[in-house]
Amino acid sequence: MSQEEKQTRIEELTVPVAGMTCAACVMTIEKALRGLPGVREASVSLAGGKAAVRVDPGACTLPDIERAIEDVGYEVPWARLELLVPGMMGAHCEENISAALNALPGVVSVRATSATDSVVVEYSQALVSAATIKKTVRELGYQVTEKGQGEDSLDRERRLRQAEIRRQILNMLFAWPLGALVMLGTFRDSWSVLEGVLPSFMGEKLFLFALTTPIVVGPGRQFFVNSWNGLRRGVTDMNLLYATGIGAAYLIAVINTFWPDAGFGGEKATFYEAAALLTAFIVLGRYLEAITRGRTSEAIRKLMKLQPKRARVLRDGKELDIPADEVEAGDVCLVRPGESIPVDGAVVDGYSAVDESMVTGESLPVEKRAGDDVIGGTLNKTGAFSFRATRVGAETALSQIIKLVEEAQTTKAPIQALADRVAGHFILGVHALALAVFLFWFFVGFDLWFTADSRLVLTPYTLADMQVFGLALLISVTVLVISCPCAVGLATPSAMMAGTGKGAEFGILFKGADAMEATAKVQVVVLDKTGTLTKGEPSVTDVLAVDGAPGEVLRLAAAAEKNSEHPLGEAIVRGAAARGIDVRAADSFQAVPGHGVEATLDGAAVLLGNRKLMADRSVAVDGLLTEAERLESEGKTVMFVAADGRALGLVAVADTLKETSVRAVRELKRLGMEVAMITGDNRRTAEAIGRELGIDRVLAEVLPQDKAAEVRKLQTEGKAVAMVGDGINDAPALAQAEVGMAIGSGTDVAKETGNVILIRDDILDAVAAVQVARATMRLVKQNLFWAFGYNAAAIPLGAGILYPFVAQVVSPELAALLMASSSLSVTMNTLRMRGYVPPVKRGPPAASPEPARREATAVEVAS
Amino acid sequence: MSSGTWNVGLISAVIYTTASTLAAAAFFAVTVLTGDYSWVARAGGSAWVFLLSMIILMPTVTPWLRKRLGD
Repeated sequence: MSQEEKQTRIEELTVPVAGMTCAACVMTIEKALRGLPGVREASVSLAGGKAAVRVDPGACTLPDIERAIEDVGYEVPWARLELLVPGMMGAHCEENISAALNALPGVVSVRATSATDSVVVEYSQALVSAATIKKTVRELGYQVTEKGQGEDSLDRERRLRQAEIRRQILNMLFAWPLGALVMLGTFRDSWSVLEGVLPSFMGEKLFLFALTTPIVVGPGRQFFVNSWNGLRRGVTDMNLLYATGIGAAYLIAVINTFWPDAGFGGEKATFYEAAALLTAFIVLGRYLEAITRGRTSEAIRKLMKLQPKRARVLRDGKELDIPADEVEAGDVCLVRPGESIPVDGAVVDGYSAVDESMVTGESLPVEKRAGDDVIGGTLNKTGAFSFRATRVGAETALSQIIKLVEEAQTTKAPIQALADRVAGHFILGVHALALAVFLFWFFVGFDLWFTADSRLVLTPYTLADMQVFGLALLISVTVLVISCPCAVGLATPSAMMAGTGKGAEFGILFKGADAMEATAKVQVVVLDKTGTLTKGEPSVTDVLAVDGAPGEVLRLAAAAEKNSEHPLGEAIVRGAAARGIDVRAADSFQAVPGHGVEATLDGAAVLLGNRKLMADRSVAVDGLLTEAERLESEGKTVMFVAADGRALGLVAVADTLKETSVRAVRELKRLGMEVAMITGDNRRTAEAIGRELGIDRVLAEVLPQDKAAEVRKLQTEGKAVAMVGDGINDAPALAQAEVGMAIGSGTDVAKETGNVILIRDDILDAVAAVQVARATMRLVKQNLFWAFGYNAAAIPLGAGILYPFVAQVVSPELAALLMASSSLSVTMNTLRMRGYVPPVKRGPPAASPEPARREATAVEVAS
Repeated sequence: MSSGTWNVGLISAVIYTTASTLAAAAFFAVTVLTGDYSWVARAGGSAWVFLLSMIILMPTVTPWLRKRLGD
């Protein structure tokens, strides 16, 4: 297949991107990509480190995209796969393999070398997997072995980041000592203490020129090259601010050295130290960015690292050690103590305890025996076992969770919109501002306020010889440097990355930044009763018979419910079996949703259900009402039993509250939220349970299909509602609420409705979700405050607002220091989230008065 | 590269360069007409205005023109 034919099949290309630090970088790359021919849409994710590009078929290739990204100063860390392919016989085989692999969408380059039996493939992991590449070579008739572990995008991104750190360290080693010498030399004549220490030549302008020039053309070169590459593609970025700042400071210094009478301040205002230290500070900023980059997304990296590389499988009776991505569904895998479980599956043989904390947040090891499910990426602790793979590759729980978290991190919270708009268009705005400031100081400010004792802030520099152009240019350059919007761009996404990652650590998956923001704003939490507050495993507690034969009442009820899948029906069948009653299925069975069932047994019409069902069928239950009300006031669900239109008795069923339910409700209230419970139970039963849990607002007798309407009612009161329930049965209500929390999803997270997924079946995780969301939004607001606060304060300072009063202006190097410190303060603030533990998860759970009543004890009461 | 893209690039280059030159020329003219500025200030200022105008207009004009011409 030719390259062109291949391209016609590609419409959306996903490319990894390394080196981004803020929203301005995102805008830069998006603009560069949109400038490519045939690109319809480009969306770059800062957190995910990816660019998704929609292109006209055949219009541009992955290498084109790579070039565009690299041109504006970023790197594309393709995944790299090194294969050992014995049996290649010369150029023909090399060409065959290259052609077959090049035809795969997502393969960027192939280098096949028959002399060394090696094939090296660079590819986009988002478009093609290593397993597919190996399979393709295998299908050509070659044997394939992976050399070492290969290198995925994550490894490459880390390698590139480390290379960037090394590069900036070298730049600093060069720029800082020289910059310090330049500064000492510059101030030698101004500070008398230096005069006695430093030789006089150090103050010579030519000496300073000789020291500064290598700094500007060495460590400073990257800014000029990157900004020029960006400009060629019609984009502006931070590099441009740096380049114009450094370039202008250097140019003024050179002019004042060689043409001192040109009106730029003369020999006393050669800002060599400005150009040198500006470069040094910016390089320091780059170094700090490279160090801190990725730390905020540590959680996703941890998850990715969990993905096992190797697996031991049994095939044809032999134990084989193969790459984990080659395990197929149905393979039997072997796991020894201390090993990671390679894929999802079900235990076939053996017994062990498995640490699942990294995926589910469950802190205690979970026992596994034959039949139990195991999760890929979790750690086997004690015993050895074998399991049959059920979900492999992208289907595994871990892959789904990683995908979900990655997707969440690529979304933008509403609060981010403003920050993005500001940061994205800031560069142009800053240049426009620099132009306006220049014009103002040139035509107005200089004549109004310039005095001979003008100085730079915190320096002994005199600007006495400065003339109109020099002063206007100096202030204009300072505005350029001081206005860098990196901190604004970093504020929201870095906090969101940290927050979503932190959530994942505790088994709480936010499906997007908007879900995070909405969760933080929730005012009312509606908790579904069955399965959320209770264990969802009700049991029979009381059986009452009108004629004194409760066993017969239970037998009829169980027969009617024998084929039911309703939890209450199952409880009755279990209860009958537990009492040794032989339960025979009814001859016919009909569910009456929300009310009960009707069945036929041995010719008798049996009814089992609530008052409404009895009333609808004209069955009088007056004699049972007193007992029914008593049982209901104890929180039990009562079902009347009738045969052939006559009430025979009632069966009371109660569910067991989860151990953490009372505490969860208390914690939610402590967070200032209104807590409501929604259930199909009758009001008396529901209110009894509500009282026990401490819930004031009980939405009772709500049919499953009406739950969404109840949520809507709460919303019409103007409240932001979160619904916590089963992701499948309560899906409409979860979708209706501002925040739908699907609880106890287990590991099949992809199927879940709701925008917050709680992997474990613990209602306390709903509390933790709110706490994580609030902590994250607090972080976002703090970051935005610092970032906007910095720019709001620094830009007027840079623009010379203090000059009319104190005759001092901020120097470009001080501007660079302020700029670097603003980004650093935002990043450091975000990093505080690393150690965050939701309060509800700290320490042992507080003692809560758990009810003993609901432990299922069948008490049969004769009427 | 398609001829359409080439045309957009060329036309936008002509537009932003012309506009920047006009801005610089306007600056120069104002300095000549309104004040007693040195030639260094006039020339240097014009160059700075030209540079900043180019930086502002380059990334503005190209996408605008591309959108307008539907390229």
